Amino acid sequence: MSDPLTFTHDKFTFAVATDRFYSTAGIWAKAEGDRVTVGVSDFFQQRNGDVAFAEVVEVGTAVAAGDEFANIETIKLDIDLPSPLSGTILAVNEALYLEAELINHDPYGAGWLAQFAASDWAATVKTLMTPEQYYEHTKAEAQAEGS
Amino acid sequence: MNDTTRVIIIPCSGIGKTYGTVSREAAYEVIDEMCPQTSTLVPLSKLVLGDGAAQTAVAENRVITIDGCSLACATKMVEESGGSVNHQFAVLDAYRRHRQMKPRGISELNEGGLQLAHALATEIAAAVDELQGEENA
Repeated sequence: MSDPLTFTHDKFTFAVATDRFYSTAGIWAKAEGDRVTVGVSDFFQQRNGDVAFAEVVEVGTAVAAGDEFANIETIKLDIDLPSPLSGTILAVNEALYLEAELINHDPYGAGWLAQFAASDWAATVKTLMTPEQYYEHTKAEAQAEGS
Repeated sequence: MNDTTRVIIIPCSGIGKTYGTVSREAAYEVIDEMCPQTSTLVPLSKLVLGDGAAQTAVAENRVITIDGCSLACATKMVEESGGSVNHQFAVLDAYRRHRQMKPRGISELNEGGLQLAHALATEIAAAVDELQGEENA
């Protein structure tokens, strides 16, 4: 992964990986061919706290963009995650069932949630934010929350 | 038995945080009910403020910390105060072991939170007994 974009707000430093796209919900999507891996951003995991449990829908499930595809329970909240794309679940990160904290420790790597067979990735990309756009989006959110 | 031979319990000071409240409820149950003769509580805030008696207590005694989250403030403050932690407990780890005990509430915990605090207190009391056994061996 190339150097992330980073910004510091209050005592927290947030990283935005530059090799993927983002939804406004803080979910990233990274394509390798038609196989798209998704997870949550560093800003998402820091804002929502330590993850106690993470559950993803079963492999083979067809999911439409915006549908819930995973649930994360943190020390602060229960969060239903909307899918950033339409497609079929090819794989889920089973390591999270034993080590949900991977989402906090490595949100852009070992803490990935699921892999999709994208229905139309080329069209989906147009609905997502670039890293630069997400960087500005999260900076604004952080500043709004802190003000 | 004086305080110098008791196991020091230091819970999270997260006021207004559910997991911090669970850590303190567990600590109170240990020192008041489960191990009243062999454990005592030192408030984390005293270490943060640099209180001399609190620093001496953690430097000279066996210590158990109960952290509310991964920031692990209780454990870090003990170490920064010159002490060493004999057992570190984390509320989140306890919840992962007891998922049916979902904690909610802040000033007053829900039933799941109270059950989780009790389960955690039971584990901590066992650690206190283990440390006391080592002391007496």
